[in-house]
Amino acid sequence: MQAPGTAVRGAARRFFSKPEFSTLIILVIMFAITAVLQQNFFETRSIVRNINAFTPLILVTMGQAVVILAGGIDLSAGSALSLFTCVLTTVMRKADPWSGAYALAAAFAVAMAVGIINGIGIGYLRIPPVIVTFATSFMWLGAALFLRPTPGGETVEWFKAFYNVGAIEGVSATLKRFNDVIPPALLLVVIGCLFWAVVSKTRTGRYIYAVGSSNDSAYESGIDTARVQLKACLVNSTFILLAALFFVGQNQSGDARMGDPLTLRAIAAAVVGGIALTGGRGSVYFALVGALILSFVNKIIFFANISSAYQTLVGGAIVIFAIAASQAYTLSNRRAMRAEGRLK
Amino acid sequence: MNVRGTLRASAAYSFYDRFKKLIVALLLIVFLFVLGQAVVSNFLSLGQVLLTIKLASFIALFGLCQMIVIAGGGSGLDLSVGYAATMTAVITAAIMDGKNENLWMAILVALGIGLVVGICNGALAAYVKLPPLVVTLAMSSILQGTINVYTAGRNITGRPSPVLQIIAAKSIGIFPNILFVLLILAPIVMILLSRTRWGLKLFGAGTNETAAYLSGVNVRRVRFVSFLISGVLASLIGLLLLGNMGIAFKDMGSNYVMPSIAAAVVGGVSLTGGDGNYLGVILGAIFLQTLTNLLVALGWGDAGKWLGFGIVLFILLIVYVSNRRSR
Repeated sequence: MQAPGTAVRGAARRFFSKPEFSTLIILVIMFAITAVLQQNFFETRSIVRNINAFTPLILVTMGQAVVILAGGIDLSAGSALSLFTCVLTTVMRKADPWSGAYALAAAFAVAMAVGIINGIGIGYLRIPPVIVTFATSFMWLGAALFLRPTPGGETVEWFKAFYNVGAIEGVSATLKRFNDVIPPALLLVVIGCLFWAVVSKTRTGRYIYAVGSSNDSAYESGIDTARVQLKACLVNSTFILLAALFFVGQNQSGDARMGDPLTLRAIAAAVVGGIALTGGRGSVYFALVGALILSFVNKIIFFANISSAYQTLVGGAIVIFAIAASQAYTLSNRRAMRAEGRLK
Repeated sequence: MNVRGTLRASAAYSFYDRFKKLIVALLLIVFLFVLGQAVVSNFLSLGQVLLTIKLASFIALFGLCQMIVIAGGGSGLDLSVGYAATMTAVITAAIMDGKNENLWMAILVALGIGLVVGICNGALAAYVKLPPLVVTLAMSSILQGTINVYTAGRNITGRPSPVLQIIAAKSIGIFPNILFVLLILAPIVMILLSRTRWGLKLFGAGTNETAAYLSGVNVRRVRFVSFLISGVLASLIGLLLLGNMGIAFKDMGSNYVMPSIAAAVVGGVSLTGGDGNYLGVILGAIFLQTLTNLLVALGWGDAGKWLGFGIVLFILLIVYVSNRRSR
C-alpha cells in the first residue's frame, strides 16, 4: 500500500518532468514580464487589445500544429491566409448585406480546395511536405494577386462582428456591452479549441498521432494514412479561415501578402509549444501556449523600445533560437530517458 | 573495399535516366518557345533567345547553390540565398564605389558574409539537425532584418566596379558575358561533383545516409560543407547581381529564390538527394525564364508568374518526386 502523500508526490514529479511543464513556466515568466512592462496590462481595454493582437498567430499555429502532428508541415499557411482575405473582400459588396454570406461560402469552398490540394500532395502523392507546400504557397500567392493586385476591397457592415461588434452601426447596447467583456477574437479562439476538442475525440484525432509517429506502421495497421493527412490539412485550412475572418473584420480589406510573416512564426510557435517537427508528439493546446509565448516575446521587444528596423532581425533570431533550443532540449531529454532505459 | 568504390556504386544511377530528364527539360523549353511564337509575335527571335539566356543565367547560378545543398540529402534546401546575395550587394556597393581597385576588398567582404551565413546554416541544419528549410527561412529573415537595420536612416550608395559590370551586364558581340561565366562554371561544377572524392561523398550522403556513414563518410561534415559552399556562392552571385543591375536595392535577390529551387526540380535534381546534373539545372532556369517571358508577353504580370511557377513546380513534383503507395 502506498501512502496518499507519496502518490501525490509521484504525480507531481511526473508532471514536473514533462516538457509541458517547462513550456508553462516560460509562459508564466513572459506573462509576468509583460505585466510589469505594460502599465495598464490588467485594464479591460488593453486585455482586449492584446487578445486581438495575439489571435491570428494562435489560430494559424493551432492549424499548423495539427498538420505537423500528422507528419506534415504547411509552408503555405501564410499565403493561404492572404488568399482567403482576398476571396472574402472580392466577393463582398458594401451595399448588399447578403453578399457577406456568399463571401463566407466562397471562402469556405476555397479553404477546402486549399486543404484538399495540400492534402493530396502530402498524403496521397507522398511528396515531401516541406517542398509541396512550398510549391502550393506560390499558387495561393498567384491566385491572391489575381484577385487583388494591390491591398484593398470592401466588406459588408456586419463583417465587423468578427473583430468588434461595437463598431457596427445600429447595434444594440446589450451586444456592445457583451463585446466589451468577451471580444469576438476570444470567441474565435474558443471555437477553434472546441473544434479541435471534437476532432481529437474522433477516430481521426487518434489516427493523426498514429500517422505522424510512424506513417508505415500506421499504414500496415490498416489506417488510410493518406486520408488522415488530407483531413489534417482540412482542419488546418479551417483554422486559417477563422484567422482570415478575423483579419477581414479588423481591416475591412484583403492583401495578397499580409500572411507571409505568419508562416514561419506559426511553425516556431508550435515548436516552442512542444510539437515535435518529426510528427506525432505534442499537444495542439500547448501549441496555443507556444503562440502566446511568442506573442508575449513580441510585446516585450516592443516595450524594450527596439527600433522597428530591428524587428525582422530580432524576430528571425528568436525563431532560430526557439527552435534550436527546443530541439536541443528534446534531444537531451531523449538521451537521458535512453540512459534510464525508459526509451529504446 | 575502398570508400570511393562503394560510393561510386551507391551513387551510380542509370545513364538513361539522367539523359531522359535533360531531354524532358529541353522539350519543355522548345514547347514554350513554339507556344510563345504562336501566341505572341516575334517571340522566337535570336535577340529574344539570347536575352532569355542572359536573364536565366542568374537563376541558374542560384540553382547551383540549391543543387549542391539538395544533393547532400537530408531534405536540404537553401532559402537564404536571395538575401545573402542582397546583403553582399548592398554592402559591397558602398565599398567599391565604382572603382576597380576596391574590387578585391569587396570580394573579401563577400567571402566573409558568405562564410558566416553558410556556417550558421550548416551548423544548425547538419549538426543540430533542424529542418534545413526552416533554418534557412529563418536565416533569410535575419538577413532581411540586418539589411533593414543597415539601410535604416541612410541611403544605399555606391556602384559596382567597372570590371563587374563588364562581366555581368555587357556583351561581346551578341553574346552576353554572363553566359561565358556559366560556360566556365558548368564544367568545373560537373567535374567537382562527379570526379572528385568530395563530390562522391556528397552524392553518397544524399543517396543513402546510412550506407555512406558506414563506409566512413562523415555525413554531417559533408552536409555542413555543402551549406558553406551554398552560402559563399550566393554571396559571390550577389556581386554579379550588383554588376548587372548597376545599383543595389533592398529586395534585389529575393525574387530568385523560388525560381532557383524550381529550376533544380525542372532540371531533374532529385529532391531526396544523391542525384543531379548541373546541365539540367541550367535548362530548368532557361525554361522558367521563358515561361516568365511568355506570361509577361500575355500581360498576366506578377500574379501569372507566381501562379505559373507554383503550378509547374507542383506538376513536376508529382511527376518526379511523388512516391505513391501501390495497392
